[in-house]
Amino acid sequence: MKKTLTLFAALSLLVVSFGLAQVEKPSDLKFSPLSYEPPNPQAFRMTFANGLRGYIQEERSLPLVNISAVVNFGKLTVARDKAGLESILSDTLIKGGTKTREGSAVEERIDFLGGSLDFRVGERTSILSLSVLSRDLDEGLALFFDVLMHPEFRENAVNLAKRRLTEQLRQANDAPGMVLAREYEKLLYGDHPLTWQATKKTYDAVLPGDLKAVHGRYFFPKNTILTASGDFSKADLKAKINKFAASWSNQSPAPQSWSKTFPAVEPGVYFIQKAINQGYISLGHLGLEDTDPDYYAVQVMNFILGGGSFTSRITTKVRSNEGLSYNQGSRFTYRWGFPGTFAGYVQTKSATVGYAISLILNEFDRIRKEPVSDAEMETAVNFYLESFSDAFQSPQATMATFANLEMTGKPMDYYKTYRQKIKAVTKAMVQEAARKYIHPDRAAVLIVGDFDPCNAGSDKFPGPLDKFGTVRRITLIDPLTGEPVKTR
Amino acid sequence: MKRFLTVLVLLLASASILAAGLALDVKELVLSNGMKILMIPKAGVPRVVCHVYYKVGSINERPGITGIAHVHEHMMFKGTRMLGVTDFDKDAALDRKIDEVMDKIYREKYWKSDGGDKAQLAQWQKDYEELVQSEKPLIIKDELWTLYMKNGGTGLNASTGNESTGYYVTLPSNKVELQMLLESDRMANAYFREFYSEKDVVMEERRLSENSPGSLFNEQVNAAFYAASPYHWDVIGWMDDLRKMTKADMVEFHDTYYVPNNCVAIYVGSFDPAALGAMAEKYFGRIPRGKDVEPIRTFEPPQYSEKRMYGQGPAPTGLQLMFHIPPEGHPDAAALSVVADALGAGGGRGFRGMGGGGGTGRLYKTLVRDKELAVSASASSRPQWYVGAFQFSATPRVDKSVLPEDLEKAIWAEVEKIKKEGVTPDEIQKAKNRSEAMFIRALDSAMGLAMRAGRAELNRGWRSLADDVEAVKRVSNDDVKRVAAKYFVKDNSLTAIYTRMMGR
Repeated sequence: MKKTLTLFAALSLLVVSFGLAQVEKPSDLKFSPLSYEPPNPQAFRMTFANGLRGYIQEERSLPLVNISAVVNFGKLTVARDKAGLESILSDTLIKGGTKTREGSAVEERIDFLGGSLDFRVGERTSILSLSVLSRDLDEGLALFFDVLMHPEFRENAVNLAKRRLTEQLRQANDAPGMVLAREYEKLLYGDHPLTWQATKKTYDAVLPGDLKAVHGRYFFPKNTILTASGDFSKADLKAKINKFAASWSNQSPAPQSWSKTFPAVEPGVYFIQKAINQGYISLGHLGLEDTDPDYYAVQVMNFILGGGSFTSRITTKVRSNEGLSYNQGSRFTYRWGFPGTFAGYVQTKSATVGYAISLILNEFDRIRKEPVSDAEMETAVNFYLESFSDAFQSPQATMATFANLEMTGKPMDYYKTYRQKIKAVTKAMVQEAARKYIHPDRAAVLIVGDFDPCNAGSDKFPGPLDKFGTVRRITLIDPLTGEPVKTR
Repeated sequence: MKRFLTVLVLLLASASILAAGLALDVKELVLSNGMKILMIPKAGVPRVVCHVYYKVGSINERPGITGIAHVHEHMMFKGTRMLGVTDFDKDAALDRKIDEVMDKIYREKYWKSDGGDKAQLAQWQKDYEELVQSEKPLIIKDELWTLYMKNGGTGLNASTGNESTGYYVTLPSNKVELQMLLESDRMANAYFREFYSEKDVVMEERRLSENSPGSLFNEQVNAAFYAASPYHWDVIGWMDDLRKMTKADMVEFHDTYYVPNNCVAIYVGSFDPAALGAMAEKYFGRIPRGKDVEPIRTFEPPQYSEKRMYGQGPAPTGLQLMFHIPPEGHPDAAALSVVADALGAGGGRGFRGMGGGGGTGRLYKTLVRDKELAVSASASSRPQWYVGAFQFSATPRVDKSVLPEDLEKAIWAEVEKIKKEGVTPDEIQKAKNRSEAMFIRALDSAMGLAMRAGRAELNRGWRSLADDVEAVKRVSNDDVKRVAAKYFVKDNSLTAIYTRMMGR
């Protein structure tokens, strides 16, 4: 390595600029036009041996390579009595070693090179990611494909992962925010693979053979999309990848399907006792899928309601006007193949829990009843249009975005048409979306907090909480013992 | 808008540093008021990461106003003489009245030992609320935030640390002038409306962190570890100070630290440096230079005694073992980061700096994998600007009845081994490779680069990013043994043992 430190002499630059007068207020600013077209996925798509697909971008400014494999397998495929298998798989695909390498040897080598190799299983996809300096590409690729194709799940690594994850179950009910997020989904989706939780018993039930079986069934070329970006030539990389993919055989697992009916949730208050000084609150119901034609109108509507941080109504009312909270708003979540959730959310001191809920419910109501203002529309629509290119800042993230479109079966012109679909959203569509997707009368109000002070309220908004409907208490389960948790 | 031809002669210094065989090119501009502008052009999408950093954080506070750096950061979003208000003079008159009545309330409530005259307080509180109601029509809510968002601002945020405070936005390349206008305006013309309700917001923020399991104990551990230096209190500040700090405190704080000579603006992305430099001169250059800012006075004196702390609560049982180390830039810092890396390196779980609790570190291999004493075990070296800390953390295997004290012994055994034998040549080489690779990766993300270079500039200059990589390259095993023997001693340590409270 060179050790020199170069310092250029100061340069004297003559700058001639037009129209650079300093202005006094933002409305006086005039911006030159800027056009931007998103990258076309087809320009990066490649196919490899055995039907392996990929999105590959050369980006040679730094001597780095990032490569990932997105596999169509996730938590939803795991049987109920082995719930949590996905976490053990996440932990042991690398640490469990391969047919020819110990897990620790793989880790040592990657670390020695200053690289990283990481594996995570999500709800419906799994991702193995490698990052190495380009000089180490060959060695990195060999380790990457060895782990992807030939994991061995050695028993000692599997046992260690099970002990670690079981110990982690002790923390399952510690953080109020985590309890709220988990229980909100359980409330809305009911008893469904989306909400099944690991326990000590289900972790114990997972054996190395189960992991091998899952890997054998779902990790194959046609079920995988690669993404790569960095300092390589596409042709070279293709040849290298083909060498590995050529010996990777395909499987034909039975197609998977899941129930898409969810229980009707009784509206009202659901309360989880925790001796803390704030109430953590989510209120709402199920939302929609992001493949729905209403998606764009819902995005704009939610930006105005509570998704656009300080420009949104809920933040203005609850935080800025009243000082009730630090974190508040509304959100629609999206998931592949299922409707996501809709929630208004806030964390506020116990005495103002009721007041904060009432302010959020008022906003749910108002956006249904009154058209939004022109200024609100302008801010929301312009935000989406003007920030659009942000999604393509990183080549690796762009490739991952394209792989995700293909994996989830979304139209490949999604980004090409995105801005025109946002532009087409009108005030009437926003109100229509609010009426269709926000139902204060059907909202479940989930609170994690200390019941008595939350129920008492404050002078400004006294309790009790049954103002918002029947109050039901939820008892948490200790996943370690399977017994209800005693609260204090 | 007036359009005229401007001819500017700017002194733009262009410098590049080389580390890991790679050049980092930075265009530097120092305005006549002392403000620094750093520019790093980077090919890619037509956007520019625009960050402003001030050399002020919680270490510049004192008892009585702890948390003010962070409250002030919140207040920087509450408008200026130009922004966030329909009629400045009318609003200012009301705002002064609000301050007057709150001043009376604070004196009655906080200066009197019995908490003051309740009836009188209720009357003043009513006056306050009426004034706030009458001010509302004059306030344009979050105008700065709305302007940024409407113009495609992303990564919009601000953050306060122990040492620095940053204001962030990423804009389309044609809109950087908006950032120059708004940031120069709030440096020069900040006007702190809605101060009292914003303090309520910050107190809610503090409650949020209090409800994060174990955080109250960690706050006490930190306070015990730093006895004298202003790293003693957390950035969020003590609740009493949040309640009692005044508008006058806020104005004084702003005038002291929010001056161009205490500030760096950094731009990374797709732009023309000459044009951007001219623009910076125009907007930031108009602000008069402030008084020089004195660095902090109180460093951490030698501890002279071992410290131990015990706590119980709703978080996992665990051990922390901390040692005082010198600040960044000190000749021992690089060797200490090699020690942290040998003890806690990687395992591929991302790049969070040297050290950690990863699969190839000695702590994982010994405590987690082989002896099965711990669920996790990590080591990290945090040099910071003025005083540093080397920290071990570990969670015991409760299912095997392991106690934090058992982990303490096991960690000391690892430490003693390093004092005697140092680390292996492979471990040293691994640390060197990792530090180089981390430097290269830091150049990859525009936002990450802005954060690292901008903050570094405030302390030892942006070139220190490369100096640190070079310093790690020079570390020998003798250095490793020497620093381990020097800093890993009982009377330089704090041991904190936390036990999960039963019967929750």
